[in-house]
Amino acid sequence: MSLIPWRSKQQQSEESPLVACCREMDRLFENFFREPLSAWQWPFSDAGAWMPAVDVAENDREVTVRAELPGIEPKDLNVSVSGNQLIISGEKKQSEERTGKDYYHREIRFGSFRRTVPLPEGVDSENVEAEYANGVLTLRLKKSPAAAPRRIEIKTKS
Amino acid sequence: MTQHTNIAKTTAETLPAERTRSGRCYRPNVDIMELADELLVVADVPGASGEDIDVKFEDGQLTIHAHVPQRQPEDTQYLLYEYGVGDYYRTFEVSEAIDSDKITAEYADGVLTLHLPKAEASKPRKIAVKT
Repeated sequence: MSLIPWRSKQQQSEESPLVACCREMDRLFENFFREPLSAWQWPFSDAGAWMPAVDVAENDREVTVRAELPGIEPKDLNVSVSGNQLIISGEKKQSEERTGKDYYHREIRFGSFRRTVPLPEGVDSENVEAEYANGVLTLRLKKSPAAAPRRIEIKTKS
Repeated sequence: MTQHTNIAKTTAETLPAERTRSGRCYRPNVDIMELADELLVVADVPGASGEDIDVKFEDGQLTIHAHVPQRQPEDTQYLLYEYGVGDYYRTFEVSEAIDSDKITAEYADGVLTLHLPKAEASKPRKIAVKT
């Protein structure tokens, strides 16, 4: 799942479709050789018809992952870290009162989803905070102290 | 916008006239259902808090405007950036006669639910046939 290449908006508007296509191909190859298994699971998996949008930010101390998951009860959400992969899965349930109604307009999708997000090196999988508020899931993954940048003293001989 | 900007959101095609804040505006995903005595409008507006959602019904036009604060500081370094954060705005023409005084709204877990009760005159009525 991790290889699905979502481009950011800024990039999209500035470049020609040809350049974008080239980059997409590069990314597909790159991902295939890095994680061949996860790359080949997705076309055959029966994971949901929809996927939440995710953003991942990084600074020296932690990695922050935010996913937009409106209308999901926190108990229907599963978050796990395995190796350097973060897996967010769950199910958006359609409430009883909304099934079998006359729809004028239908844009919201229901069902289960599973999203795998590759994590950068040095994340401490034991130290994860998760919070769900107003339809946004926020995960804070602390980096292990060993991975923090360290300044190395240079000795000079006098 | 000719292309999809990302998977979950589309930028609003018409910007509200009264906007004073800069930044992008998104079009929330909406379901509209008709029930026997009301119209049910459900909109996904993740990230908004209940008090920042503005719902207006005027001359048969229903307007949803949700203010969404930024989630990350300006200089954030992104490894993945799939959705933008900004206000939600959408307008609908509602053709059914609606009793505008009785419109109610609920908000929970990023989902806004609006109940638009039909006016008495437009409710279906069963007419007894005399024999």
